[in-house]
Amino acid sequence: MMLALLSSVLDAAPPLVFAALGATVSERAGVVNVGVEGMMRAGAFAAAVAALALPTPVGVLVGMAAGAAVAAVHGWLSIRARADQVVSGMALNLVMLALGTFLLEAWFNSPSSTPSITQLPLWGGHSPLTWLALALPFVVHLLVARTPWGLRLRAAGEKPQAVAAMGVRVNALRFGAVVLSGALAGLGGAALSCATLDRFEHHMPSGLGFMAVAAMVFGRWTPLGAAGAATFFAFGNALRISLTSSAPQLAELVPRGVLMALPYALTLLVLSVQGGRNVAPAALGQPYDAELR
Amino acid sequence: MRRALPSVLSVLAAIAVCFVAAGLTRGFDTAAEAFLAMLYGAFGDWPRYLETGNAAAVLRPLGESATKAAILTFTGLSVAVAFRVGLFNIGAQGQLVVGALTAAVLGAQVQLPAVLHLPLCLAGAALAGALWALLPAWLKLRRGVHEVISTIMLNWVAVSLVDNWLVTGPLRASAAGSNSISGTDEILPTAALPRLLPESSRLHLGIVLAALAAVVTWLFLTRFVRGFEWKVIGLSPEAARAAGVGVSRGLFSAMLLAGAFAGLGGAVLILGTEYKYPAALGAPWGFDGIAMALIGQGHPLGVLGTSTFFGGLRAGGTRMQLFGVHRSFPELMQGLALLFIAARLLWDRLLRRVGSAPR
Repeated sequence: MMLALLSSVLDAAPPLVFAALGATVSERAGVVNVGVEGMMRAGAFAAAVAALALPTPVGVLVGMAAGAAVAAVHGWLSIRARADQVVSGMALNLVMLALGTFLLEAWFNSPSSTPSITQLPLWGGHSPLTWLALALPFVVHLLVARTPWGLRLRAAGEKPQAVAAMGVRVNALRFGAVVLSGALAGLGGAALSCATLDRFEHHMPSGLGFMAVAAMVFGRWTPLGAAGAATFFAFGNALRISLTSSAPQLAELVPRGVLMALPYALTLLVLSVQGGRNVAPAALGQPYDAELR
Repeated sequence: MRRALPSVLSVLAAIAVCFVAAGLTRGFDTAAEAFLAMLYGAFGDWPRYLETGNAAAVLRPLGESATKAAILTFTGLSVAVAFRVGLFNIGAQGQLVVGALTAAVLGAQVQLPAVLHLPLCLAGAALAGALWALLPAWLKLRRGVHEVISTIMLNWVAVSLVDNWLVTGPLRASAAGSNSISGTDEILPTAALPRLLPESSRLHLGIVLAALAAVVTWLFLTRFVRGFEWKVIGLSPEAARAAGVGVSRGLFSAMLLAGAFAGLGGAVLILGTEYKYPAALGAPWGFDGIAMALIGQGHPLGVLGTSTFFGGLRAGGTRMQLFGVHRSFPELMQGLALLFIAARLLWDRLLRRVGSAPR
């Protein structure tokens, strides 16, 4: 039972882990990303569509590119056009929600899902994305915490004027971070349609993007923390599903909806205990203005 | 009027993009027919009315549009009043959900004459929404937690608890005495929003309440000292504090009002058309409120106008289904319009170039 549970956590975690890492990268650079949900949706859809004609691994790459493309719009709007970053993210969520439904109907004459694709082959009983989800948090951690680029990235989120004084173009740096963030969210979406399932379904990612944002906050805006929280939340999801099938009496005792609310409630609890001000990047949400010193 | 220009242009651009998208996938002739059908479905099939004299051709679509416009107006006002004090209420969805549930429960479980029952349900829903908004306000003021994060979390707490537990579990319709298979018990007729037209149209009191709320909010924000204080808080909390305005009180009361409006949106949905809390709410009405508030430029009457327009398109959207275009297509227009309006700097530049008036 424990082993089976662990195994299902390994399978459920990748979408959430990738997306949480994506959210973290963007927000550490100072750009709010509540558009993760839409970027995941773009990734899930594009990956499934591409995998109908191309090998599935290529489909996953297309999914990443789609996520990055949506993120580029977010970056352009919030960095160049000075849009409110929250508005831009939420607008993209709404557009992607509707666009996915529209294209599903237009291309596949279906309100519910794309045709089935070949799932990613299993390596050692699990999808390669599972192994990637175990390794990537450490890679992103090293990138953010130990490289010059990571230092600049973090500084752009805390005190962009300081980065500019070093001769670094803050806006270009932030744009890069946002696009990378979208690629990671797109990878998370692709993991849904190419590994968790074998097609794009109309409700994808059904709120996982927001759960990824919760994981980022829960993990205090650090890659390892975010990935850890994402895994913890995925564990919660897996536990919930396995409880319903293996121990229905217990599931009766603790209703499904309560378990589903738990990640968000816990995040709120942690926030209310430790306070929000000293954890989030200091310049989060503020467009960089070269004239402000 | 000048303030409305970016909104109008954004909406037109969004419609144009969507028309091209529909044209490229379904052919431009079909797209044109589908868009015409959508307009008839939104604002009435006037040609058919003039031809046959059948009033239902106009009244039925208008009724459908108005029911949707009422909900959008309330959630749009919710986001807009929070904006006024500089808060971003992403939580309208959660507030709407708890408001809707409260209305459904009060409407089904309490027995009162209609003059009391309907107001009780509306007040209960408003109170529930306001309470759900209390927490993010408190977290913001006392713990420094950004309201965007806390309201996102509370949305999903509300949706999980209500949709995946209460409505499928403890509050699920009792089998006897109810013909609903899923969702809560049906509300009693005394709690329903009265229909304004006979038979052919579902037009109900909701749109009147929504319009009233928009006008009252507009008067409050522009004609009352407290409303002016909110504006000052939104423009600069420091300046407001220096001028002796109670900033905390302003933020609290604006957020409570925002929650109440979203809760009322939920009540209108339940008491107007659903008559119970359904298994699935259908549309993310609370998130749509963000679009309504921004396209409406945060102005209560702008919100009312935007909601009426998009409420209409959504009602008309069902008719696009006949032409192979998904009925959620108007939501794509709405999303794109929001995206276009978001690029504020570009609009500022454009407006400065077009005219000389300062913003």
